[in-house]
Amino acid sequence: MGVLVSPAFSDFVGYEVRVLTVTIRIARSNGEQAFVVETLAQQTVLDALFYIQNELEPSLSFRCSCRVGMCGSCGMVINGKESLACRTSLNPLGAEVTVQPLRHIPVIKDLVVDMEGFFSKYRLVDPYLKPRPGLVNPIVAPPSGHLREEIDLGLECISCGLCLSACDVVGMVPEFLGPAALNRAYNLVADVRDDLAEQRLSMVGQSRVGVWQCHTHMSCVEVCPKNIAPTRAISHLKRTLIRRRITGHRPRPMPKVQRIVQEEV
Amino acid sequence: MRTESVDVLILGSGGAGLFAALHVHDTNPRLKILLVTKGLMGKSGCTRMVQGGFNVVLDPADSIERHFSDTLKGGRYVNDQELAWALVQGAPGTIHELETRVGCFFDRRPDGTIHQKAFAGQSFDRTVHRGDLTGIEIMERLRDQVLARPIAVLEEHRAVELVGDGSRISGALVLDIRRGTFLGIHARATLLATGGGPTMYKIAAPSLEKSEDGLALAFRAGAIMRDMEMVQYHPTGLLAGAGRVTGSVLEEGLRGAGGRLFNAQGERYMARYDPDRMERATRDVVARAGYMEIMAGRRGPQGGVFIDVSHLGAAFVRKTFPGMVQRVKDVGYDLATGPVEVSPTAHFHMGGVAIDSDGHSSLLGLFVAGEDAGGVHGANRLGGNGVAESTIYGRRVGDAIGREAAELPLVSVPDAQWELRSQHHARFWQTTGGENPAHLLGELRSLMWEKCGLVRRQTDLNACRDALAVLLDKVEHISVTGNREYNLRWSDALNLESLVIVSQMITESASVRTESRGSHYREDFPQENNAEWLKNVYLQADDHHDLGMKIFLKDVQFTREIPPAVKEAKLDGNPQHMVQR
Repeated sequence: MGVLVSPAFSDFVGYEVRVLTVTIRIARSNGEQAFVVETLAQQTVLDALFYIQNELEPSLSFRCSCRVGMCGSCGMVINGKESLACRTSLNPLGAEVTVQPLRHIPVIKDLVVDMEGFFSKYRLVDPYLKPRPGLVNPIVAPPSGHLREEIDLGLECISCGLCLSACDVVGMVPEFLGPAALNRAYNLVADVRDDLAEQRLSMVGQSRVGVWQCHTHMSCVEVCPKNIAPTRAISHLKRTLIRRRITGHRPRPMPKVQRIVQEEV
Repeated sequence: MRTESVDVLILGSGGAGLFAALHVHDTNPRLKILLVTKGLMGKSGCTRMVQGGFNVVLDPADSIERHFSDTLKGGRYVNDQELAWALVQGAPGTIHELETRVGCFFDRRPDGTIHQKAFAGQSFDRTVHRGDLTGIEIMERLRDQVLARPIAVLEEHRAVELVGDGSRISGALVLDIRRGTFLGIHARATLLATGGGPTMYKIAAPSLEKSEDGLALAFRAGAIMRDMEMVQYHPTGLLAGAGRVTGSVLEEGLRGAGGRLFNAQGERYMARYDPDRMERATRDVVARAGYMEIMAGRRGPQGGVFIDVSHLGAAFVRKTFPGMVQRVKDVGYDLATGPVEVSPTAHFHMGGVAIDSDGHSSLLGLFVAGEDAGGVHGANRLGGNGVAESTIYGRRVGDAIGREAAELPLVSVPDAQWELRSQHHARFWQTTGGENPAHLLGELRSLMWEKCGLVRRQTDLNACRDALAVLLDKVEHISVTGNREYNLRWSDALNLESLVIVSQMITESASVRTESRGSHYREDFPQENNAEWLKNVYLQADDHHDLGMKIFLKDVQFTREIPPAVKEAKLDGNPQHMVQR
């Protein structure tokens, strides 16, 4: 058993409040391994993994980068729920904590998953803006206008893969594009700057991989660390597809653009 | 050993690396590009962590000349003026490209045009942003565009050595972290865009994998380095006890919007340090003021000072700074309704590889962009000029490589050399009984914070130099065991090696600059000395010197703007001279 302070952080003992002794069970590549640690105030599961790797089991592998919920590198299943390790405080979790790698994505080692399992789906919706011909300046889009509001709701995805791991349908139908890819597809379909809406809609409308597979369980909504609702994006895509079947396709007008004063020479 | 040949090797996948990849490809689609990144593409690195935003002149009432003057003034006039000019002049086109080609969508004003908010040290509100977590939007969209192009990417591969002959770089030796094996990559052009990230300090902001690898790689390969003493400490790093969130930045927009800083006695202390600008003084001034308060004992329970934005109104704070409110809530406080304890935190390295405005280093075939490069920001970087540098220089240098790479030779490195160097970087497997790199990192972080941090003295710097030599020796003897696949302790050892080498450069440069300027503060030379020190400190590896490096000074060239102090004193420039130590 060890106190959860690596010597790299031992200078912060001024705030050392021992709160709880925790048993952390980690699903490693070669089987489950348990570690007993004491947690301090304000520590997270990521802190615990660092402590274990630094002091108890140097061969443990996990992935992280920013440690403030911006990069989406430390997704894992903590006490059964998809979470970012860096934003999951230990104290509310209780005395027994289980940590497993994300589901539906191949494991490289221990808690490190091969995010190609996520991006291979994401890539299929052509996740990049293809600017409409003539789009030479930033568009004028008031914050309260529909142009902006629709996109704002789903913009902050950090491609962490939690939603893919939590999605029951992906478990049953591995080809299903999954929540994050469809959320990105909807953002681009709703974006008046984009020229590939038709291509994307035909992709997301395919029966085996597309939006019709979604059963509206909303597991993705529950786990998203950025409070995005992929289910909402999926519903919008379904409605758009239905409307097109009934009324046909009407091209969108070109949006108004902002004149940038200082052009690069 | 596996080897491979490409036209262009890009090291790093932050704003500079990804933007460069796009521009190399779009300039010359026939070039074979390989992008190598230590973490996951677009997820590791510091552009991703940009919160506040991006300085750019878009408003007709603003001007590029003003942005330029603010940048020089903030940098205390030791910026390379041509590099700073390329920055401010390239900013509007970069925002334009991000919005109309890359697919970013920045926040808007009520009239629908791009919103620009207030940051410190600027004469105009010119910071473009997406909420208070701007880096996510920039990096996700750049990554999307890279996915749309035939650009090969190796994730979780780290460069351990630039391979060359002291005057030319022919490629890099790369460690595949997942497999624990090496890969030799020959390249006509190599772009160093790994980012800086001064994590050798006890309290530090950058993402956790950052270890200034690029600076160590370039130095060891013989590149000329500059301004290495210039490390930026951000004034408001969140304190979260022993949690690793400690040191992460609470963004500058909080001060821009009117946030106030207090010490533990409830005193708004900036009134004593910079009564005119108060909390909106530049980062160097505000960070040092906070440090002085902390060292004088006017500190809170975690040893910090306090930022308070509650007077702006809870609703405003929650709407304007949702990311900051969430982060503070994660560690148990409410930013919208009360003070939050913060500390200066090591944030950015102004120093780096000396380059020209197209990213050429002193070594043929080696290009540098972003925080790995030095000179743009002088002695202090303005908030909002960091992501501007990584993206603007990513584009510029990408264009230059696109134009030049096909003409550069592909030089074959003998197999024996690849093997020999691989063995060197795997030497930790041959030793036993060495110290734990995590413990040595703790020693380094305390050492640099206390002896070579916000306040520096010659006696401390001497002690620091000796302690770093001892640490480097301990790093040599670290032993790593177990399976080579995804071995974090091996990564820790390599990270630490980079950090100690860069710490030595910081310490040597800091002891040469016997004055105080920007982020470099010498208690034994507390004044800014414009008569003698409108100069830059350069370093270059050289085994013939005791320190393993030669150090030389050069006068700043005032190619576009004469500093006010020079105008007043009508000083003559001193001739270039060499310091032999």
